[in-house]
Parts: sequence; structure tokens; C-alpha cells
Amino acid sequence: MKKIQYTLAILLISAVTMLQAQSNTYMTYSMGFGMGDLGDFISKTSFRGAAIDYRKLVQPNVGVGFNLGWNVFYEDKAFDTYTSGTESLSGRQFRYSNHIPMLLNADYYLNPGEKVSPFIGLGTGVMYSRRNTDMNLYTVQEEAWNFTLCPEIGVQFNSNISSATTIMLKYYYGLKAGELDEAQSYLALNVGFVFRQP
Amino acid sequence: MNRFFKFFVFASLSGLVLGGCYPAGPDFTEDLDVVYTDYDPEFDFQGQSTYAMPDKIVVDVDIANNGDTTYEYMKDIYAGPILDRIEANMTALGWTRVNINANADVLLTPAAISSTTYFYSYWYDWWYGGYYGGWGWYYPPYYTVSSYTTGSLIMTIADPNIDSPINKSPTAWVGAMNGLLTGSGDINRVLNGIDQAFEQSAYLKTN
Repeated sequence: MKKIQYTLAILLISAVTMLQAQSNTYMTYSMGFGMGDLGDFISKTSFRGAAIDYRKLVQPNVGVGFNLGWNVFYEDKAFDTYTSGTESLSGRQFRYSNHIPMLLNADYYLNPGEKVSPFIGLGTGVMYSRRNTDMNLYTVQEEAWNFTLCPEIGVQFNSNISSATTIMLKYYYGLKAGELDEAQSYLALNVGFVFRQP
Repeated sequence: MNRFFKFFVFASLSGLVLGGCYPAGPDFTEDLDVVYTDYDPEFDFQGQSTYAMPDKIVVDVDIANNGDTTYEYMKDIYAGPILDRIEANMTALGWTRVNINANADVLLTPAAISSTTYFYSYWYDWWYGGYYGGWGWYYPPYYTVSSYTTGSLIMTIADPNIDSPINKSPTAWVGAMNGLLTGSGDINRVLNGIDQAFEQSAYLKTN
């Protein structure tokens, strides 16, 4: 947990140094909707997440950069019995799933410079996934570095030359890897601010 | 610089908010209670009908220098309801309790164990090295020391009539419950655990 926070803090600060070229920097609050195996493990929507996106505008309508995010899914299961072979274990389970995507992205802006600028994009890279199943004083921890694809759509509302707001939808699909037996995927709905460097 | 500052304040606040809203996990000690059972699939529970059980529950064993052992027992005000609840569950499953000398089909032995674990936690603090121009970690971090005590009640069923080269009967069934002890003497959590152990062990049913 602390490691995750420190990593994010360091990356946040290093992102500051990139605020120079003609660019958009997005700082967004992120909600997560688990899908597939992740949705089976934790059915509840995640309201805990954030992301930083940076796009350097190589052309007025094309931005390339990175996406760094963090979504944590959590669900406390009611008292239940879990059986494996001859063994049965009853109790409450506290389930956590942390996901930190680190992707390289390219976006295409449909109306660059206009007040309302929709965009579509694709990201690819890795996602660190860590799943914890807590019972009693113990946790079962499974980790994976998933190769990840992330198509995204969004709209940027330009309010002035240096700032804007945004809403975007990202679909993270992390291929099966590591200790997790299945692909890890979720939809992220991000809203936040855009720092524009003209 | 103004832009840099605004960005930095925003980033810092985001970090604080993120840290503050990490999911908290269990709220009550009861949330940590677990009940575990396991059995020997080869053992013929349906072929048995009587069991014997001691009327005290061992909580500790003192071993003297000369090798003598002395058992410590749970206080009767706690052991009584626990043994009664075990007997009620066994009766409901069709078993008959008999005296230890009556050559019972199986022996049911409850035991309780408590253990205290000490741990310390620490966290780092940020510092800004004005003279050196950079961020770093502040040492030493703060330490807190804490402890928790867990309690387990373990029940085993074994057939004393099975011959074994080491004169010990293999366990046919084990039921264990574990949770944080709060010192409040709340016996209900243990009693609920006993009910749960038998509930998830339908194969013990002989009637």
C-alpha cells in the first residue's frame, strides 16, 4: 500500500517536469467498473481511483504521451463457507484489487482548439495488478504484470487557453499474466482537469 | 512557475485524498472470526455411534524440568457452555455421549490455545532538503508497538481403536475456530463458531 502511494507520488512529481512542450496534462478522478474475472472477484463499483495523462501535441490534432492510473476495487463479503476438497473455511472475506496501468498513448482530437473537443485514442503498456483476499489475520496475495491494451474515448471542454475539463472512458484489458489466472479488465470513467500548455 | 505551483498543489492534494480513501477492511473483531474444518474421507463416520469427551478443556501444558507435564484447564464458567454446545451438536447429528471408560467408538477432544503477537509499525515522513535541493526520506521513522492476542478452539475426533505403530490415533475430523480475543469474555462468538463447525461438516451425521 505504502509502496503504491510512494510510486504514485514520485511519478506525479516527475510528471510536473513534462509541463513544457505544447501539451495537455490531465489529472482525473477515476471510477472503475470491474469486468470479467475482476468483476467476478469484486462486483462492486470502485469509487477510488485517479489518473494522470500527458499528451504532447505532435500535430494540432494528434497527441502522444502516457497514462498512469490507479484504481482500487474493494468488497467485503458476508460470512460464507468456502470449500476445497475435504477442507471448509467459513468467515468474512475482505477483497481488494489494486490496478496501476502504465501505458503509452496516442489520441486523435476531432475538433482541436474548439470549445468542445472529442477525442479517441489507444494506449498500450503494462498494468500492475495486485489481488488480496483477506480472511482472519491472513491475506492471500496474487500479483501480475499484465500486458495491457486500452482504447479510450473522451471529450475535452476547453475553457481558456491554459485550462480545460475532461470526461473520458477507458477500457483497460490486461492479458493473463503472473499469479492471476485470468485477464484483468475494467472500464474506467475519468473526470477531471486539463492543464494546457499552448 | 505559477503553473508549476498550481500543478504541484493539485498533485499533493490528490495524493492525500487517495491515501485517505483507501478501503479500510474489517471494523469489528468478530469480522476476523474464522471456522475451519477438515476430515479424513476414508473414515467411516456413519459406522460409528458413540463418542466420549472430557469434561474439561485444556488451555496449556506446563512441562517441568524433569519432564512431568501438568495441564492447565479453562475455567468452568467458559468450558461448561462450550462442552454443552459441542454435545448438543453431536446429539443433533445422531451421536451418543458415553463415559470415557465405556469403550466409545471415537474420542472428541477439545483444546483451546491463545497466543499473543507483538508487532511494530512505522511510517516515513517527507522532508524537503532545502540545502541540498531535493526530496528524500526522513529517518528515523516513527514507531508504534502494539500487540494482539488470538484464540483458537480446536476440536478433534479420533478413533482410539485404530492400531497405529506409534500408539496414536489418526485424526478423523478437526474443527478449529480462530479469532481475536478482546478480553471481554464473550463466549457467544465461540459458541457460534462451534455451531458453524458442525454445520459445515454434514458428513458427521449418523442418523
